[in-house]
Amino acid sequence: MSEFGYSMPRYFAKMDDLGNPIKKVNTKNAEELLAVEAEVDAEVNRIKTGGKPSEKVNAGGEWTAWQRIDYLVEPGTWCPLHTIYDPTANEEGTTGVIDGIGKVNGKWVVVIASDNKYLAGAWIPGQADNITRVTDMAKRMNLPLVWILNCSGVKLSNQEEVYPNRIGGGTPFYRHNELEQLGLPVIVGIYGTNPAGGGYHSISPTILIAHKKANMAVGGAGIVGGMSPKGYVDEEAAQSLIDATRGFKSTPPGRVEIHHGVTGFFREVAESEEAVLDAIKKYVGALPAYNPEFFRVADPAEPKFAGEDLRTIVLTNQKRAYDIYEVLARLFDNSEHMEYKPDYGLEMYTGIAKIDGLVCGFVANKQGILKNYPEYTKDYIGVGGKLYRQGLIKMSEFVTLCNRDKLPIVWIQDTTGIDVGDTAESAELLGLGQSLIYSIQNTDIPQMEITLRKGTAAAHYVLGGPQGAANAFSIGTAATEINVMHGETAAAAMYSRRLVKDQDDGKSLDGTIAKMNALIQDYAEKSRPIFCAKKGFVDEIVKMPALRNYIQAFVGGVYQNPKSICPIHQMITPRTIKDYMDVYVNKSTVRDN
Amino acid sequence: MANIECPMSGKVWKILVKVGDTIAEDDEVIILEALKMENPIFAPEDGVIKEINVKEGQQVTEGDVLVVLE
Repeated sequence: MSEFGYSMPRYFAKMDDLGNPIKKVNTKNAEELLAVEAEVDAEVNRIKTGGKPSEKVNAGGEWTAWQRIDYLVEPGTWCPLHTIYDPTANEEGTTGVIDGIGKVNGKWVVVIASDNKYLAGAWIPGQADNITRVTDMAKRMNLPLVWILNCSGVKLSNQEEVYPNRIGGGTPFYRHNELEQLGLPVIVGIYGTNPAGGGYHSISPTILIAHKKANMAVGGAGIVGGMSPKGYVDEEAAQSLIDATRGFKSTPPGRVEIHHGVTGFFREVAESEEAVLDAIKKYVGALPAYNPEFFRVADPAEPKFAGEDLRTIVLTNQKRAYDIYEVLARLFDNSEHMEYKPDYGLEMYTGIAKIDGLVCGFVANKQGILKNYPEYTKDYIGVGGKLYRQGLIKMSEFVTLCNRDKLPIVWIQDTTGIDVGDTAESAELLGLGQSLIYSIQNTDIPQMEITLRKGTAAAHYVLGGPQGAANAFSIGTAATEINVMHGETAAAAMYSRRLVKDQDDGKSLDGTIAKMNALIQDYAEKSRPIFCAKKGFVDEIVKMPALRNYIQAFVGGVYQNPKSICPIHQMITPRTIKDYMDVYVNKSTVRDN
Repeated sequence: MANIECPMSGKVWKILVKVGDTIAEDDEVIILEALKMENPIFAPEDGVIKEINVKEGQQVTEGDVLVVLE
């Protein structure tokens, strides 16, 4: 029990119960999900074991980035992101950085480390995009950023993909300063040789802690060697370069003697690998952070049902529906919630729940057939995963209420798109989809998104997707599939006229059919979880039982230092939910009785 | 004895039982195809299949008796 009291216990001490035990394990479904999770694990393992062997790194007196993170971050709190992100399909198979959210010295921080197993942590293609995702995440969650830096600078053979461009090598230098201007410190522990780009990575943060052998500089030995005035290299030029490099090799510029002893840029110099990380912990300990009890409405509690059940509940067969309430029951504290307007906008769940005792908004697609719905037509009935008029309006209302009450939002997508056709257009769905985007953009609350199964068409954007400025990060699962439409639909859209023409011309349909099937296969390959993670459609593929861990990190992180707060007793969302249920659903007011 | 009725309009996609089969509560009996979705129909109780009143591919509407249990 907490020594702190809780406000408004009539709303939060005991919320509505949710969920039931599963009747039996769906072994086939679980095995399919586990197989995909194993594929992702294999990719992660490939990156972890690739590059310079860990033993060799250790033999050189250094730890690997993975070992450094393991020492720095509190056990059980690490939520890795972008682990297999590699949008440009590098020969290294990675962007050369490792990042995620975790607790350091009791506080949530965003952590990023140069992967020193690959080219001594060099800038390689896709790395600037990865870093920018990380700095954006720190900005949106209002969290400090910790760098474990060990960056040898640009991979020179790929400079055109690394150095220039709007999101290029130099972007993080500006982003670090942007974070600082927002009051978010960037703490860096510096290892190894960090010339040029590595130098600015080193100097741009707020607090610089150096390993005793670290150095940082405008340029390294190779640069100091200078350009050949001839415009080409001959034996004489080569020898002159050899002599210059030998000289600089023994004394690379920007060592501790200079940047601690002379400039004082290094705030501290640490004698050992772990001493650098201990110093980071010390400075993180000096940062402001609310005790989470300040914002809690109840004691933290685990869900009543195991996260493992999600491998039975979330079906890999996309033609099968499942009960989203059973999913939510495995994410929420004590499997309790308050649902906003359950009888309106039937295709969407909107509601509030506790995560580690902190209130959070949730929006999720429901699945299954919706009889007598949508209300604007009798020509067809609704199906979960699609979006209709009421659901879109309900989500806009809910997002606006959460913004007013300063509640973070978690979006859980499994959507096939927004209803289409003239009936849907007459019901204003195009306008209401954009209205939802307006409502999200109008907020200043951090949001995360889980593409639980399908993310399709514009619905993937409007349901708090990663394209929005409010989105801190997005994760997927072994069931995730993201595409503009299903491959079969795309094949029909692209080739139906061709089929007609083939038939009219008396041609065989075989050629067009083969193209259609090739397209369907291509869509399938380019929508799968691993592809989504490599391209950055999601920031990580997460095992089903670990989804709650990421929600805990998100909610805990957001409540650590919120930019603005709403007193719990002045929140409107729980009251709106209660009164709507009392007056319109349960008809249980004093006057009703 | 219990009737398993059709909960919605659709097409019978797969019949997973035959007359004489013993089934348990919550076993899948029939899969309907509606709105591009597979909609499984589950046994409401334990029993033995006495009659199957539909064929695969048949259009059915809400309230139709699909299967009779004894």
